[in-house]
Amino acid sequence: MKFGTTIIIGFFSFLATFASASELPSGEEIAKHINARDDGIAVSRNVLMEMTDKRGKTRKRETRGFRKYYGSEKRTVIFYLTPRSVKDTAFLTYDYPEANRDDDQWLYLPAARKVRRISASDRGDYFLGTDFTYEDIKLESKVSQQDYQRSTLREELIGGHHTYVVEAITVSKAVAKELGYSKVIQWVDSKIWMTRKAEFYDLRGKLLKTTFTKNIQQVQGIWTSHLLEVNNHNTKHKTRFTFSEVHYDDSINDDLFTERSLRRGL
Amino acid sequence: MKTNNAEKFFETITRWPKTVVLISLVMIIFCASFIPTLQKDTRSDAFMPPDHPALVYREKVKEIFGLNDPMVIAVVNNGETGVFNSQTLKLVQWLSDALLDIEAVDADRITSLATENDIVGTQDGMLVEPFFDPYPETQQTADNIRTAVMDFPLYMGSLVADDGKATLIVAELQAQNEAQAVYQKLLTLKEQAPVGPADEIYIAGEGAVSGYMGTYIDNDAKRLNPIAGLIITLMLLIAFRTLRGTLLPNLVVLGTVASALGMMAAFEIPFFIITNALPVVLIGIAVADSIHILSQYYEEAARHPLDSSRQITIRAMKQMWRPITLTSLTTMAGFFGLSLASVMPPMEYFGIFAMLGVAAAWLYSMTVVPAILSLLKLKPSKAFKPSQPIDWFGRRMSSMGAVVIHRPGWVLAVALLVALVGLVGASKMELNEERITIFHEDEDIVSADKVINSKFDGAHYLDIVIETDAEEGLFNPGHLQRIEALQNFVETLPHVNGSTSVVDYLKQMNRAINEDRSDAYQLPLSEELVAQYFLLYSASGNPSDFEQEVDYDYRLANVRIRLDSGRFNFEKEVVEAVEQYIHKHFNTPGIQANLSGRINVDYHWIKRLGESHFGSIGISLILVLLMASITLRSLVAGVITVVPVAFSVLIVYAVMGFANVWLAVGTSMFAAIAIGLGVDFAIHTVERLKVLVREQGKTIDEAIEALYPSTGRALLFNFAALAMGFSVLTTSEVVPLIRFGSLVAVAVTSAFIASLWVIPALIKVFNPRFLRHTSQSFQEQDVPLAAIPQPVTVVTQAQTKPVSE
Repeated sequence: MKFGTTIIIGFFSFLATFASASELPSGEEIAKHINARDDGIAVSRNVLMEMTDKRGKTRKRETRGFRKYYGSEKRTVIFYLTPRSVKDTAFLTYDYPEANRDDDQWLYLPAARKVRRISASDRGDYFLGTDFTYEDIKLESKVSQQDYQRSTLREELIGGHHTYVVEAITVSKAVAKELGYSKVIQWVDSKIWMTRKAEFYDLRGKLLKTTFTKNIQQVQGIWTSHLLEVNNHNTKHKTRFTFSEVHYDDSINDDLFTERSLRRGL
Repeated sequence: MKTNNAEKFFETITRWPKTVVLISLVMIIFCASFIPTLQKDTRSDAFMPPDHPALVYREKVKEIFGLNDPMVIAVVNNGETGVFNSQTLKLVQWLSDALLDIEAVDADRITSLATENDIVGTQDGMLVEPFFDPYPETQQTADNIRTAVMDFPLYMGSLVADDGKATLIVAELQAQNEAQAVYQKLLTLKEQAPVGPADEIYIAGEGAVSGYMGTYIDNDAKRLNPIAGLIITLMLLIAFRTLRGTLLPNLVVLGTVASALGMMAAFEIPFFIITNALPVVLIGIAVADSIHILSQYYEEAARHPLDSSRQITIRAMKQMWRPITLTSLTTMAGFFGLSLASVMPPMEYFGIFAMLGVAAAWLYSMTVVPAILSLLKLKPSKAFKPSQPIDWFGRRMSSMGAVVIHRPGWVLAVALLVALVGLVGASKMELNEERITIFHEDEDIVSADKVINSKFDGAHYLDIVIETDAEEGLFNPGHLQRIEALQNFVETLPHVNGSTSVVDYLKQMNRAINEDRSDAYQLPLSEELVAQYFLLYSASGNPSDFEQEVDYDYRLANVRIRLDSGRFNFEKEVVEAVEQYIHKHFNTPGIQANLSGRINVDYHWIKRLGESHFGSIGISLILVLLMASITLRSLVAGVITVVPVAFSVLIVYAVMGFANVWLAVGTSMFAAIAIGLGVDFAIHTVERLKVLVREQGKTIDEAIEALYPSTGRALLFNFAALAMGFSVLTTSEVVPLIRFGSLVAVAVTSAFIASLWVIPALIKVFNPRFLRHTSQSFQEQDVPLAAIPQPVTVVTQAQTKPVSE
């Protein structure tokens, strides 16, 4: 069966090289499919964050995180479990859908017993010392339809999965500067509408980062990635997020997403 | 090569002159064909052996903290608001953005007000946000930026001048060998930049200095080397007044320079800054060989106007092959000594390829010169008339000889006195170096360096690398306090104006987290707090933000010290004081410190140079002594030969001492070059006297008298060619070239005078055995007879074996 699929896809790809691009779904259509994908109202999960610098030194942090949508507003809270020195440090974010409204962020420092409001980050800022930007984290597996102009380039197989290769070019220089990207190329799975691989290009048009979405499994009927990898080609810095104990649970307590809960801890 | 063999050799050469010329031309072209592949290496680091511990350690540190010698752009505005007005700040933004478009600039390592973050505390939080947020459109926003920056101790003096009238844009390069190209691009940027009425832009920094140094010296050397060649050619015209006398030496020069540079290229040895001195040194040496051959050739031609061109050539070569071989061997010994004892790779290669160049000059003088001379129709030189064998120059030399014959004691006394004064001068010579002094004072880079070092803490960096023994060791508050104390100590040292480490960022964060209270500008007191501050910062910073201050697992830290001077003796004081402090007060189990950075490398480099310099000159002199003793077959003759050479070295040091010229990287090679160039005069003098006494049976007085108009005259032109050739370099704008030209001219002059006055005077006063003339000496054979050219047999042989023209 698998072999058959490969043959069919291979044949299809072969045909595609002769066919005009209009026969592929448009970039906009693909974006709509991606954003229509269900990723649950609320989720709890453990995330192991591993950051590696160019010399191969690795920082490991284990966290427990919760995310919940309130309409199109998104609240996230992360509690650090290890290493010991940052245990109980907690980070809370409210992402607002309005473009002109700054997100709210708080960080609890147990050693100072203080919750500190952190300045709203720019979309292109890096998230907690990782190679993800705040925008990457905010979008999770979704894509932005207003920031990019998309066109479908071709089809390709990635690890045996059929994908559409979509080129997304930032709509303006200003947006590019804000995001830190001039162009993104995405390999979008045509079956489950998840991006399996993406290449990000910097403002000079040079390849900046490559991300991989791996170990995609269904959890409670929702396609969920259990491994995210980013390689920054410029700094040679790498980030790996490994997800475990993923549980979709719409009844996650709203109290978790408050300053008070940061102090209280898990 | 014995005399008979020598004769056979030159007969062979002159039998197939066209073949010899053809082979030589092919060889010259073959060598020259490599020259286009010569690689340039103008880095300062090229002067240190790549395996030197200081350099190795710095490379390691560079890899950990990513520290490079940066390009530094200063924007200065002496107006009322200083740089804090919207136009100047926009200029800073413009320049920072423009740097992004330069490929070789590391986009992540551009530091300016436009790229840096402010860390500031509020009532309930901490802000890490760019200073340029919002963008400085109005005077109000510019004023706010001023307030913010002035309240950030870390940036005062390092990024912004204390008076707010200047700010820096610091850019690191992806590869240091791009410095030259990037500096040129920055100069273009400076022209295009949208400057306000009171804005000034300066470009300096170690990256810029080393970037510009290469071009700066190369350009002038490229211009002046040919002029030196031209002047030397002019001297040849005066000496011989014939076309061949002028052009033939130039062919040898061509062959010599092509061989040396071609071989450098073939062996993939890069062209260093000091390699610029190689061509002119080789020109001087190559031309000297030809001058002696041609002088002999024209003397012979004047004496035997009826002989064939080939006979004359063979006779001249038979006279000259020995002294030329001897001078070549001793010069090679001198350069070999230089390369053997040198601590700097460029100097080592200079010695080796100068040596190979001398060998090439010898080879072409021995082959292509006689080949061409025998090919050409004999045309006597007007300078050598049969009726009046001694011309004006010869007569001047003779009067020089008269002084020696009549007052040898006086000559020696004066020489001794000069040597004593020389010793006084030499003792004043100081080991020192400052890279910026290479440039003429009117150069933009010099004024830029002044501005940056006076308005800011300084653009010369000493790095102190702190190593703790465990991961996250730097979270330990005790360790952090130790680093703080170290910084406090270092900042009390002269020429040190500031220092930066992770300690400063932690204090700033501690203040910000404590509602910006100024009394909270201190180190956090618990390990956890330090860890959490870093996490807090990472909520807005780049993953690589602290790359310059700490390594990734918080085990290593870098403290960067800023000095306002790159002068060795200032650096030395600081480095030694810091080293002492580290050993006495800093190093304890668990935490250690080591020095690194440009200043530390320079310190070791120059110190090493100072320690090894006199040893290396000594080795050169000893090798010359050995070579001269062996070839002249007498230790006394060797010593007498070395006296004028040592004298000229002493005079070079004396002039440096009196004129306040430092013994530095560039100047350290002058003494060695003085040996290489000066020894020729001495060898020619001693060898000629020996021939005159032992072979032609003259008394010492007769020999000295005969020495001056012939060999003396040739040496005079040899000397004039060298002295004038090197003097051309003094018209340069480039300080090192001026020094090189004038000091080598001084060396050559003193070697010339000492050879022609002191050597004959010594011989007359001490009457050494190797020159003692007894009737038995021919039979005694303490010197192998065959080694001595015997004119009598030469003539007979030349006559009995008629050569076919």
